[in-house]
Amino acid sequence: MFELFVLLLKVGFVLNTALVLGSLCTWLERKGSALIQDRVGANRAGAFVDSDRWYLKPFLPLVRMMGWLGVINTLLCDSLKGLWKEDFVPEGTSKFLHAVAPIIAVMPIMLAFAVLPLAPDFTVFGYYIHPRVAPIDAGLLFVLAMGSVAVYGVAIAGWTGNNKFSLLGSLRAAAQMISYELPMGMVFVALIVVYGTLDVYSIVEQQGELLWGFVPKWGVLVQPVGFVVLLLAGMAETKRGPFDLPEAESELAAGYFTEYSGMKFLLFWLGEFCEIALFALLLALLFFGGWQIPWVRLPEGVWWAALIGHVVLMTKVVFFCLLQIVIRWTLPRFRYDQLMNLGWKMLLPVSLLNLVITAIVKVLA
Amino acid sequence: MNVISFLIGVCAVVSAICVVGLRNPLYSAFALVINLLAMAGLYAALDAHFLAVSQVVVYAGAIMVLVLFVLMLLNLKSESGRRLGFVRSAVALVIGCVVVMSALPPVVSHFSTMPQSTLSDNMRNSVGTVKAVGQELYTNYVAQFELASLVLLIGIVGAVMLAKRKSVTLAPRAGGLIGGSK
Repeated sequence: MFELFVLLLKVGFVLNTALVLGSLCTWLERKGSALIQDRVGANRAGAFVDSDRWYLKPFLPLVRMMGWLGVINTLLCDSLKGLWKEDFVPEGTSKFLHAVAPIIAVMPIMLAFAVLPLAPDFTVFGYYIHPRVAPIDAGLLFVLAMGSVAVYGVAIAGWTGNNKFSLLGSLRAAAQMISYELPMGMVFVALIVVYGTLDVYSIVEQQGELLWGFVPKWGVLVQPVGFVVLLLAGMAETKRGPFDLPEAESELAAGYFTEYSGMKFLLFWLGEFCEIALFALLLALLFFGGWQIPWVRLPEGVWWAALIGHVVLMTKVVFFCLLQIVIRWTLPRFRYDQLMNLGWKMLLPVSLLNLVITAIVKVLA
Repeated sequence: MNVISFLIGVCAVVSAICVVGLRNPLYSAFALVINLLAMAGLYAALDAHFLAVSQVVVYAGAIMVLVLFVLMLLNLKSESGRRLGFVRSAVALVIGCVVVMSALPPVVSHFSTMPQSTLSDNMRNSVGTVKAVGQELYTNYVAQFELASLVLLIGIVGAVMLAKRKSVTLAPRAGGLIGGSK
């Protein structure tokens, strides 16, 4: 019974982390894009709140500041608007599939968080706690599997749109996601060769060691090519940035979610932002030492060390979220053949070569 | 754990019936996806995590997506209402019963005599199933494994050949629907 309680607590914590990171990305995207494009961005809702009630007075400065920063606008108003909007379903398609597609698009991404550790193990009140939901030993592969299941949501969404733009968008999305899964898988294999395990926790632990006695054994130093490939493939997998061909608004209206409105549309959005957070988390865990601070050894199994580790990890994650958003808003969109060439003729051979070289180095060393 | 694997088993059986029974081919494909995922769930319930995850990656993630897309692009309608007549359904029923009855005794007898776990010691003792599967694959079954990869290679080469022949006659237009303007 107690174990079940702890498990539920962990599920809640991990889900909460995913959602908080996702909504943080929403805000970063809205305000960040405004900053990059020299606009002000969301700044109205809540910014001019005033009240004479004495019990509201102390909160007014905070509310006003959040209003100016656009927090209320992006997190509260947008979601409320989505909830109250008309739920439009196009004619001539399955209502059931139309409703289920956003769920299928979001669910695998949330599930992928289950195998990723968010902090080092620790002991509290005499209980040893692993801060991840599912400590399965094929952790890295599980993330890959969830990425490939997420294709269904997009495919069904495009099909139930019952128009050509949606279908073209979902075709593009599926082709793109399947293509970029290959280099991603190859990078994972190279990482497995280096660290000798598929368990993300163990990979992070090994990155705390020092290479030749003075360089931290971070993934980015051991596998620099792998990092670049995974960053690119990850951005293509999230269907964003210069890779947003599936929803290219100048060609396809809005691509596969053209016919979605209200909360169903917002669910796609949430899934997208959670995927950004997921990839940021993956990059931080696999290539930037997770919760490790270079040259600093935190005591093992203590709760405050785990807390510091969690904060360190989240700092790295937010950095990579920001990086993805900056790339998305500064680079122009690819053409579709360029996208496919990049995936199949550049990233795949490079990642294969990377794997071969890694294997040779591993055998010789 | 038993309850969970029982539920997954029910899910697998129901979805398998749906694959055959549903009239819309697209729904059949979705039912097949659910069936494959349920199989992965069964593997996971048996602690074969690696097998479960590879099942999802390969079958549910890659192969079924392609099948689904072919179905979507063909835009097939539901099968027309013509149902099998009485005689034909009766014949199908008899054949089905005969097949099940002939297959059932060996399966049942095998189950009753099967030891609690048929995994080899190597697998049961290992902590990581990925390691165990890899060890089995690269020591006892290395010849079969290499042969399988050879078959896959032949498949890839064949696919490339087929694609090549087409592109000579059907050169892509500059600035087509997918290409965008140059």
